[in-house]
Amino acid sequence: MAGQAPSRRELLQALTLAGIASTFSGFSRWNYGLAEVMEPHRHQDGPVQIAHAAYTPQFFSPAQYNTIEVLTDLILPATEGDAHQPQPGAKDAGVAEFIDFMVFTDPSLQPQFRDGLTWLDNASKPSASFVSLATQQQNALLERLAYKAKQRDGEKPGQHFFLLIRKYTLMGFYTTRIGLESVDFPGLKLYGSSPGCTHHGNPEHVGL
Amino acid sequence: MDTYDVIVIGTGAGGGMAIKTLCEAGLKVCALNAGRELDPEKDFRQHKQPYDLKFRGFDSPARRKISIGYMDSEYVSPDVWEHDIAYSTAPGTSWTWPRCNGVGGKTNFWGRSAARMGDIDFKAASRDGYDVDWPVSYADIAPYYTRVEEFIGVASTVQNRPSNPDGKYLPAMNFRCMDYIIEAGAKKSGIPYLPDRMAQLTEALGEHPPCHYCGNCTEGCDVGAFFSSPYFLLPKAQATGNLELRTNAIARQVLVDSDGRAKGVAYVERNTLREVEVYAKAVVVAASCVSTAQILLNSRSRQWPTGIANSSGQLGRNLCDHLYATAGYGYLPQLLGQPSFPDNVSSATIAWLPRWQNLDKPKQEKFIRGYSFYPGGGCDIYPYYAEDIEGFGASYKAEIKRRYPTPVNFTTQAPTQRSDKNYVDIDPEKKDKFGTPQVRIHFEWDENTLKMWEHSRQACEELFHNMGGVLEGHGEPQSPGWSLHETGTCRMGNDPKKFVTNRFGQTHDVPNLYAADASLFLNCTDKTTTLSVLAFSLRTSEYIVRQFKAGQHTSDAPSQG
Repeated sequence: MAGQAPSRRELLQALTLAGIASTFSGFSRWNYGLAEVMEPHRHQDGPVQIAHAAYTPQFFSPAQYNTIEVLTDLILPATEGDAHQPQPGAKDAGVAEFIDFMVFTDPSLQPQFRDGLTWLDNASKPSASFVSLATQQQNALLERLAYKAKQRDGEKPGQHFFLLIRKYTLMGFYTTRIGLESVDFPGLKLYGSSPGCTHHGNPEHVGL
Repeated sequence: MDTYDVIVIGTGAGGGMAIKTLCEAGLKVCALNAGRELDPEKDFRQHKQPYDLKFRGFDSPARRKISIGYMDSEYVSPDVWEHDIAYSTAPGTSWTWPRCNGVGGKTNFWGRSAARMGDIDFKAASRDGYDVDWPVSYADIAPYYTRVEEFIGVASTVQNRPSNPDGKYLPAMNFRCMDYIIEAGAKKSGIPYLPDRMAQLTEALGEHPPCHYCGNCTEGCDVGAFFSSPYFLLPKAQATGNLELRTNAIARQVLVDSDGRAKGVAYVERNTLREVEVYAKAVVVAASCVSTAQILLNSRSRQWPTGIANSSGQLGRNLCDHLYATAGYGYLPQLLGQPSFPDNVSSATIAWLPRWQNLDKPKQEKFIRGYSFYPGGGCDIYPYYAEDIEGFGASYKAEIKRRYPTPVNFTTQAPTQRSDKNYVDIDPEKKDKFGTPQVRIHFEWDENTLKMWEHSRQACEELFHNMGGVLEGHGEPQSPGWSLHETGTCRMGNDPKKFVTNRFGQTHDVPNLYAADASLFLNCTDKTTTLSVLAFSLRTSEYIVRQFKAGQHTSDAPSQG
């Protein structure tokens, strides 16, 4: 999605428009919000379209990559949000591709990921691999690594790998449009005036 | 051979103001800048979403290795922050030194907090007996503050606080939900929570558009809606036709004539490594505190064997800096699960907690003078707190969303005081890749500053309690240099035996040599430096113009007594 940020000239034009429209209250999304002002015909409504083009991993083997995709989606799954709107998860956001790219470009990460995936497959025995476990069993294994109350002695490498893959899942998810929309990131938009608190009847902001 | 009226080294707040003022007065100025011109459209990426950046804002592995941290990120071009001019640190000194040598320097990315200093700062020594007073009183400098504020635009309110003289302000930015919650807690703590003095345009100012509150100011503003030298100062100088700006020109030393007066500057061309000399009737050094000292200390000659204008032996001494540290971080449960709100507007420094210590009496606390707090938090672009939450899966994702508007933290800004231990000199052995002897930094936090840091952690704990927040921890002091607020090295004072410069920034020893950056300041106070650099540089520059009009800096003029 490179090249979507506005040029300075476009931005100045948009600001001029903003000045004219006294009720201007800010765009809903930076990228296509600006397109709406500049080129209304290019505005698209509806949910974000995800391109599921085939991706060839640069670092991971196909089996490893499959495991990364399963793991990341267990960590940040698609969920049902407010008003039963589906909220996309890590797989929808292409988190595995991001991790493959980051590990491929940073050799210092490679042993940690390779060893971690091996540890996970070993811990899944007698099943052939982590991905061949039933989802319930996969979750149980991750819980064993994630929650202090459930952790077992001798599984430090697995616990460390869980934190590593979770960290990269967070990095890969919350830097996508899907991830930023999931928290409704309010920045990188144009606001016509300094956005302030709108709850003046409730200055303590309790129970809003 | 071209001869200019004045050579100005540096194009940031101090240099930029000098360049503008001198050019507008009709003087021919040659400005030397150590880096290239920046192109906001190409070099600033503050409007890019993380997914528009190759490494999503986390930087390439190669860049992570050399990054100075802070603003030296994927959001700006890799050469915006200086990596090539080497410097040394004395054993035991840790120094982080983000230097922007692009035209305009750090004003391209500064934090925009712009409070005036006052007599509580200038006459602090008279109050508590430590060190010496500034040779300038608030009444002397106040008119210059007013003119600078009118010119750059500072948003704030009149606050009537003893530590913070009020100025001339644009409408303040609005408080957010978190500000009202913190304000209520601060009230219980008996400490102030007020709109910061923000050099950010809440209204259009002349040709400068108002802020659009995208919230990514410290990556550079590509519309110039906050003060920076390239948007506010240099175009005015260029319009006079009196400016020649030489970029990638790394000043090495001030050249002297047979009388020991400044006659020009030798610089190294960054790209060719060629040494070039340029001549003028007067020289203004505004390369930023430590670099200014380096240039002057490296200006050794028969007349100035220990560096030009160093008969006092004080050149490079008295380095001060702000200790920056997170006094506490946590979250505001009041805001759990609330809708996201633009809490990262203006990088979340629309309010501050100005110095509240030692106001009635100079020694109420266990330390002298005082510090200030900056609040941070809100809906940041990346939910860093998620790494501290246990778990995974749907409930984990929901908790990240629930916590999203709630993070809050406080940064302590605590000044060091003058100390013999903190100074810069020239490394006797090492040269940088341009062949220039490296500056060497000697620095450690003093006991007074560490007492402030301790006090600020306790104050923060109490504040969290009073605002109903959950305190999760505190940070450790950042390495010195991190704040970008270093001062000293060419302190001003009336006694030529004890000070490098007089109250106008003119060196006592060499009447046609001036400093016009924070190197003049006696110490760094609890305020930030940029507004004061602008005000003092304006005052110095107008003094220089008067000297020219009085015939003092013509080439055949006698040395001024």
